[in-house]
Amino acid sequence: MTILWVPLSAALVMGVAAIATAWAQSRIGAAGAAALAEKPEVSTTVVIMIAIPETVAILGFVVAIMILLRGGA
Amino acid sequence: MILKMSRVRMIGPRDRLDETLSVLQDFGRVQLDRMPLAGGLQPVARNASGDRLRRALTRLREDADVAITLLHVPVTAVTAHPATRGEVARWARDARRLRRKAERLETRRKELDDERAVLGRYEDFLDAFSVLLAQLADAQHLRVYGVTVPAAERARVDKLADALRAELGVEVIVTTRTLPSNDVAVLIAVPAEARERMERAFGAARIAEVPLPAGYVEESLTQAAPRMLARLHDIPRLLDAVAHERADAATRAGDDLQLMRAAAADMLGAADATELSSVTAHAFAIEGWLPSGDVHALRERVSRSLGTGVVIEELAHEEWHGADAPVVLSNPRLFRPFEMVTSLLPLPAYGSMDPTPFVAVGFPMLFGIILGDVGYGAVLGGIALLLLWRAGPTSIWRRIAGIALPCATFSVIFGFLFGELFGTLGRQWGMRPILFDREHAIIPAIVAAVGIGVAHTALGLVLGMVSSRHEPRIAISRAVQLGMMILIILALLSAVHVLPSNLFGPFAITVLVGFPVLLFLEGIVAPIEFFSTLSSVLSYVRIMALGTASVLLASVANEMSGLFGSVIVGVLFGLLFHLVNFAMGLFSPTIHALRLHYVEFFKHFYSPGGRPYEPFRHRDGSAAATSRGSS
Repeated sequence: MTILWVPLSAALVMGVAAIATAWAQSRIGAAGAAALAEKPEVSTTVVIMIAIPETVAILGFVVAIMILLRGGA
Repeated sequence: MILKMSRVRMIGPRDRLDETLSVLQDFGRVQLDRMPLAGGLQPVARNASGDRLRRALTRLREDADVAITLLHVPVTAVTAHPATRGEVARWARDARRLRRKAERLETRRKELDDERAVLGRYEDFLDAFSVLLAQLADAQHLRVYGVTVPAAERARVDKLADALRAELGVEVIVTTRTLPSNDVAVLIAVPAEARERMERAFGAARIAEVPLPAGYVEESLTQAAPRMLARLHDIPRLLDAVAHERADAATRAGDDLQLMRAAAADMLGAADATELSSVTAHAFAIEGWLPSGDVHALRERVSRSLGTGVVIEELAHEEWHGADAPVVLSNPRLFRPFEMVTSLLPLPAYGSMDPTPFVAVGFPMLFGIILGDVGYGAVLGGIALLLLWRAGPTSIWRRIAGIALPCATFSVIFGFLFGELFGTLGRQWGMRPILFDREHAIIPAIVAAVGIGVAHTALGLVLGMVSSRHEPRIAISRAVQLGMMILIILALLSAVHVLPSNLFGPFAITVLVGFPVLLFLEGIVAPIEFFSTLSSVLSYVRIMALGTASVLLASVANEMSGLFGSVIVGVLFGLLFHLVNFAMGLFSPTIHALRLHYVEFFKHFYSPGGRPYEPFRHRDGSAAATSRGSS
């Protein structure tokens, strides 16, 4: 049973984290593009803003790896 | 680093103000600033004549700038000289005339380009039927229609042709050709009296006639076609004539235009400088900023050019505020390209810390740890060397190469330590990881990434303590945060038995004692800030995540050669995958190394809000004349 649940849990963690990041980045990207059209000087802020939600995916990746390693898959 | 600035005051006889400003403009290193009015000092009064001259100069600079841009005058260094009012009036007329000419040529070029684009859409159709259209030109009793339909809808044309033949008889001529775009072009000729029935048939078949462009709509297709083709062949010659006229104007008037623009910019700068000066009935006084190292040179220059009549006094630091001083960054040659990275943020405040040296070391190091591959690093290094070889001395590509080269060096170094050459390809030739294998040793990689985070954050907190040395409360709170962070790490190491486990209690208790101290120093935001610092440390785990993802992708690329039936196809796919991974390997570490610096590292010590350094000097008058302070 562990053989099934461990990879499934890891996949779920990574998948949900990736979807959450994608959703956040889509919102920030759209708003950032609108802001850039009016104020090109905010480009740095926009790039950083877009990179911020990636932390969620990265932490999801780390947790997924932990599940795989600790779960013995 | 941020250069130390001095504020100087110059005093002299009023009738030598213009001469003094001219010397300062030649010297080019003093940023003039308005001085407090005291002791009978008054600002220099503006008059109507001066305002008229200023308006004329502004217009002259704008006209010359537009003409230079539209005539594509190559920018060269020019030395402007002060002009008389008569010269300014003559230049203004010349610049206006040249601007009008440049605008007329530009409008003509755009019109011809647009016309070529419109007629170009008919070119294939007209070429396909050129012979037939010429033959039908004399057949006055026939009316000719042109139609294009997508290849997939060819059946509709056949149906229309059958219907027309059935209704109008044998006089219907329907010819089809396949265009280079694969669309089907159809030419239909019917008796002129059948026009109404023809248009009804088009409507029934849901086919639209090709509309002729503006200027040809009153003519029939047979009349318009030869004219359109002739015009299409004529337009390149007309465009050449416009380009020739423009180049001729640029050659004849380019130097004059640049001289006018530079002189106007200089005179406007001098007028602005005059307004920043203060005068009494017999004397003038000017104040300004310059790097402290240049004060001696200024004294010598003024003494040599103006004699003892003009006195320079360096103001004591107590007489000015640091917030008013402009900021000049000065870094060693190797660090200077990284000013481009910090220039994406507002200038640091005067008296604070320039983060460029820390970015110059930290950015390539983090980049190298994330990419960590000898092969990719070598390719990046090759590209950087190529850029250094080909790019001009002031080109942005040279600065990019100056950043890429240290990044490549660190990538190669960490590639050796991780035993990676294009992923795991190096293992086939005996390459082995010295630190750890990033593909499998996930936990050591996480621990190493967090360790880097602790070190980088600790450095940020130490810099924060140094930069807020004049505000002891903030400096102490940074020190307490640093101490607590180290104690938490020590407690964790005790908990996992790396340190003696009996030390866990004392470490944990000391951390708990630190909280009230932080609360006392920083108020209610202290715990939030502390936990934000801890989360910053965890954010460095991205170094491991991106590095592992990179090595896994490289491994997939290497395994591709065996997945396809043909070795050649497999190798090609593998190379393509490596290319994609290399592109991602440049983009991802750049963004994340930047983010780790901007968000996690800078927040502990970076104080934005510096004034840019814009010295009073000769300018070329172009729009990009002002720049961020840098020496």
